[in-house]
Amino acid sequence: MTHSTIGDLLLQNGVSRRAFLKYCTAMASLMALPPSMGRALAETLRAARRPSVIYLSFQECTGCAESLTRAFSPSVESLLFNVISLDYQDTLMAAAGHRAEEARAQAMKDNDGEYLVIVDGAIPTADGGVYGMAAGRTYLDVMQEVGKGAAAIICLGTCSSFGGIPMAKPNPTGARPVSEIISGKPIVNISGCPPVPEVITGTLFQYVSMGKLPELDELGRPKVFFGNSIHDRCYRRPFYDEGKFAKTFDDEGARNGWCLYELGCKGPTTYNACATVKWNGGTSFPIESGHGCIGCSEPEFWDKGSFYAPLSSAAFGKAGNVSPREAAKLVGAAAVVGGAIGLGAAAVSRQRQQKLAGAAPDKKEG
Amino acid sequence: MTLRLADIAVRVDPGYGLGGGVTAVLFEIAERLEHLAETGQADIIDLRSLPLSPDDRERLQSALGAGEVEATVTIDGISKVRETGIAGVWWIEHRDTRGEVIAELLEIARVPDILSVAHDELGRAAAALRARIAGRGNGASEEAP
Repeated sequence: MTHSTIGDLLLQNGVSRRAFLKYCTAMASLMALPPSMGRALAETLRAARRPSVIYLSFQECTGCAESLTRAFSPSVESLLFNVISLDYQDTLMAAAGHRAEEARAQAMKDNDGEYLVIVDGAIPTADGGVYGMAAGRTYLDVMQEVGKGAAAIICLGTCSSFGGIPMAKPNPTGARPVSEIISGKPIVNISGCPPVPEVITGTLFQYVSMGKLPELDELGRPKVFFGNSIHDRCYRRPFYDEGKFAKTFDDEGARNGWCLYELGCKGPTTYNACATVKWNGGTSFPIESGHGCIGCSEPEFWDKGSFYAPLSSAAFGKAGNVSPREAAKLVGAAAVVGGAIGLGAAAVSRQRQQKLAGAAPDKKEG
Repeated sequence: MTLRLADIAVRVDPGYGLGGGVTAVLFEIAERLEHLAETGQADIIDLRSLPLSPDDRERLQSALGAGEVEATVTIDGISKVRETGIAGVWWIEHRDTRGEVIAELLEIARVPDILSVAHDELGRAAAALRARIAGRGNGASEEAP
């Protein structure tokens, strides 16, 4: 199947040139590519061969696969599955047991050095990796074997990208991200808990259409989707700049849609596409629903203290624990984007947090 | 009834937008039109890449006006192709099957790409028509007394 071109397959499936052009135009718009690229992408893709994809699920909750398969543009997603050849995904595939494992072995043999591996979940390494096994083999063993012949590895979600919740303290299974298991292979991290569906499909689309991996940030994430912080692109940002903050979830400020910074929003230190691509078919994103960003696409997001503690209090050591890198990033972000008002607000917020800490017994986030 | 985001009584004045930038977009369109006239090369502006406020959008629409052609393309949702009052400038809106806008473009071209037929499709179309005629021919001869 992988040897036929995408164009051949589209014709067989009755997908017209216009339908494919529309799909490519939408993807180019999503990826912030020059709009004229839609036509170029459509032409390139029609002549391209579908890459074999092996999807491995490890220590995870299946939320990432849910995100991918329950994307709100089924026609777009079904087109995507015409663009790749998904040869192994143990939750979705019809085959099971030995037959499923044979399908994986066959795909690896037929496409050695060329197949794409998608990894969903962290990899337990404690006690020889026995805390995660399937078909009688440890996840660690399977990852190492499948990784050897891969052209590239795409980590789907925060668990495979940075360890995520499985690696949260005290991490009894010794969970590790893919980047700590595999070396010498290109690795792309599409973090998020779960990642935005269109970010997943957009990255795969870019790989297939351009024949190369996208440009990555310092954490291995595609810059096109992770280049801006949530705060940079937040529609409530004008209120931050004006120093207008909601103090509780039901006060006048919250009703007026003011900035959620003081309620613990992690937007300033979180890089993802939620504020632009949004969720549920572009309906909204968490801040639009009145809740701050929890920073789920960043490393160690589960261990950074309360989701409801302002970043300023965390960065300056009053609540939670934030790495020096994170603190430096926050100070930089505040200085650049918020100016005097932002820093003033941070100081007010800090004072308020100290007051709260003084008024109530010190509670440590579990 | 499904509650929509707009129904929630949260007042947000986004306070953003292009403002005077609408004029800059119009200058850009004029330049691309001149380029099209000189070289025949079409171009596209992605409206979703611009921080257009509702006011900006209205100003842009009103500056471009409405033309004579309006086409609907029904593939995986509805796509509306409208010629603006400026010949060669087409306002194109692609929606998915749920009616959500997935791309919104200004195409500067003689005919938008989505409406034209590709050269390689013509050969296949002729072959398909010949097969259809042959099929109908056989059917007609069978039905003939």
